[in-house]
Amino acid sequence: MIRVENLCKRFGHFDALRGLSFSVPEGSAYALIGANGAGKTTTIKILMDILEASQGSVTVLGIDSRKMSAAQLRQIGYVSESQDMPAKLTVAQYFAYLRPFYPSWDRKLEATLQRQLRLPSDRRLGDLSHGMRLKMALAGALPYRPKLLVLDEPFSGLDPLVREEFMEGLLAQAGELTILVSSHELGEIDGVATHVAFLDECKLLFEESMGDVIARFREVRVTLEREASPPGQVPQNWLQVRAVGNVLSFVETRFSEEAFGERVKSLLAGVRTIDTRPMGLRSIFTALARSARDGAA
Amino acid sequence: MVWHIFKKDWKLLWPFFLAVAAVQFIPAIIHVRLGLFGENLMLVRLLPAALAIAVFATAFLVVSIVQQDAIPGVRQDWLARPVRRRDLLLAKVLFVLVLVQGANVAADTFQGLASGFSFVHSLSAAAAHNLFFATSFTLPALALASVTSNMMEAVIGGLTAFCGGIAVSILAVVVHGGEQDLFPTNGTGEGWLVSFAILLSLLFGVSAVLGIQYFWRKTFLARSLVAVVVVLFMLCLQMPWKPAFAIEQRLSPNQGAGHSISVAFDPTLGKFQRPSGMTMSDEEMWKHLRGEEAKTDVFLPLHVTGVPSDAVLKADKSQIRLIGSDGKVAYRGNGEDLEVREEGASDGHATIYQETDIPDAVYRRLKNQSLRLEVNYSLTLFRLSSAHGIPALGGDQRASGLGWCATQMNESGTDIELRCMQAGKGATCATVFLENISTGLRNPIRSACNPDYAPPFELSSEDAMSRFGVNLPFRDPAGLAQFPVDGPQLPRSQVVVRLYEPEDHFTRQLVIPAVTLQDWESK
Repeated sequence: MIRVENLCKRFGHFDALRGLSFSVPEGSAYALIGANGAGKTTTIKILMDILEASQGSVTVLGIDSRKMSAAQLRQIGYVSESQDMPAKLTVAQYFAYLRPFYPSWDRKLEATLQRQLRLPSDRRLGDLSHGMRLKMALAGALPYRPKLLVLDEPFSGLDPLVREEFMEGLLAQAGELTILVSSHELGEIDGVATHVAFLDECKLLFEESMGDVIARFREVRVTLEREASPPGQVPQNWLQVRAVGNVLSFVETRFSEEAFGERVKSLLAGVRTIDTRPMGLRSIFTALARSARDGAA
Repeated sequence: MVWHIFKKDWKLLWPFFLAVAAVQFIPAIIHVRLGLFGENLMLVRLLPAALAIAVFATAFLVVSIVQQDAIPGVRQDWLARPVRRRDLLLAKVLFVLVLVQGANVAADTFQGLASGFSFVHSLSAAAAHNLFFATSFTLPALALASVTSNMMEAVIGGLTAFCGGIAVSILAVVVHGGEQDLFPTNGTGEGWLVSFAILLSLLFGVSAVLGIQYFWRKTFLARSLVAVVVVLFMLCLQMPWKPAFAIEQRLSPNQGAGHSISVAFDPTLGKFQRPSGMTMSDEEMWKHLRGEEAKTDVFLPLHVTGVPSDAVLKADKSQIRLIGSDGKVAYRGNGEDLEVREEGASDGHATIYQETDIPDAVYRRLKNQSLRLEVNYSLTLFRLSSAHGIPALGGDQRASGLGWCATQMNESGTDIELRCMQAGKGATCATVFLENISTGLRNPIRSACNPDYAPPFELSSEDAMSRFGVNLPFRDPAGLAQFPVDGPQLPRSQVVVRLYEPEDHFTRQLVIPAVTLQDWESK
């Protein structure tokens, strides 16, 4: 659905993206995760042909994103936290304005979304709160049943109730959609995304299916018989190695049940217990981001 | 989708549009209220402000229309919608041309109708005026708006472009050392060529900027192009005289009509003598009062032959060079107006003095030297096209070619005021005099010849009307001058307006191998 190859973007002397490559499979919910300033929004704006890449290529729906025409844009829904909609139009006028651009516009779905997201018809878009504007953007991106839905930081600044409504509105219509969502709100991605890509400091750390990510990351606590210290040669797949008392903790990035204990024991002497815990997306992201920065430092 | 986007903009901007349309009507209403003589001082003072407000209001509306779907930026909703760029551009242009410019056309048409001109005449004049206004102002405002994302940026952009233009002018003055006539066509009948070149540059610039912005969204490139157009604009203003006049020559309605005309130096006429008691002309006196650089007038006696009957010969420009004995150009400048009128039957011979103002410093240096003097004349021969008689007192008349004219006596009872108005481009060269219908006596002819050789429509005007006016004296309150047609004869007199049309543009060179300036200084 989307293929990004060696994408670079420079703003003057500042590198916003450095050699980014990833692909979004059809039907997936692909999460682009990274801290603020990691390059998520820049990537998405290049995908949408809003920004021009300095180097590299982007293919969306089988077409070079720079050559996307109205025909392709009719199949893409786009919601961004910083989307400027015509402020003086009311909700009803905005829907009326959008309809003719999309031959596949479903008025029933529009009404359903409007009801579900509780958008008042006669309210001007400029008078809507931030959360309501995001819901409006979502409501304006779904009634034509796009093949691809691109969400750029859709949860930013939303209170829990609005976030819930937004997600309900989105998930109710997800169907066959391919979703690309960028966020630093990892809690919202967890349980929704099928694939995840980690962006840090303008580079992609990795991309993987959500299942694989969850499966291969473990928080490990090794209790030793005497005071703990990291092994002389710390394996590359151990992150955030810390020794406190006789406990050595680290994040295992290539976890597999098979022979894990034996491998730890071969590196550390006097192992009393090995405790492994699955990690949430937030913890994985934090561990990766910190170690990437430590490495860079 | 053009119409769909147009309707959306209308929904958003109709109150603003109506307000601007109302503002656009105010100058037209003021013009109508002022009529021909414009005696209401309050309205006269209000008019420039009303015009400025109308222009700025139009610019603000145009910017608002474009910025409803701004091009620069990355946050606009329309960027991710299947909105065809071509449709968006056409919708904006349509809104600007049909509604914004349309309101102006309506205001100009109203002014024409309220001034008593026919609907067709008023509408065609309004259309011609607005074609100029749209090309020179509205469309450039649209292009400027397309490279900005908010009103503040647009205002700053406009001011920057304005200041850039001034900077280019200053640079040109610095480069030329302030000696050269920077805007040689300014104030001449050929000025329209500059306007035309500017319009072409603007059209090119507007098309390129809009194309770059709407189809490629390259704001930096488009802004750079705006800067190029500003420079081009200023360069057009400095169009050199020779090529401008050469173009005009090729456009002469009757090429060769002036072939028999010659200009020769005729020292037998003697020195020019000012009328008794006059040491300087009115214009010189004003320059003197304003503290402008002191100049010495030199009057060269000329013999002009070959000017046909009922014709006017006018120098659009007289370029003078004084060359010293060493062969170097000692002074370069322009001569004053030169106009030879042959009213009625003519023997083809006329004498006239070519006035030249030479800066005192130069004059003092050169006055005793024997110099070679060269004058390159760019001349236009006008032929009488029509003559009209209007009662001298309370005349109010309409005639084709002349438009609407009226006469009245001035407050001090010394002059008859003639004022004329035409929808669209009117006559720009006329001679006017007072004539006693019974006796045939005539007062001295007054010239109202400020030619504009532009094609049928005017290329620069504040409204769709053209105007001219002349004051014809019939009484000297000091009692020094006597007029053949005086106050008591006015009820039996008429103002005769003779309109002239350009026939041929040509050049002549006058060379005086040896002249001493001092010999021709005015007495």
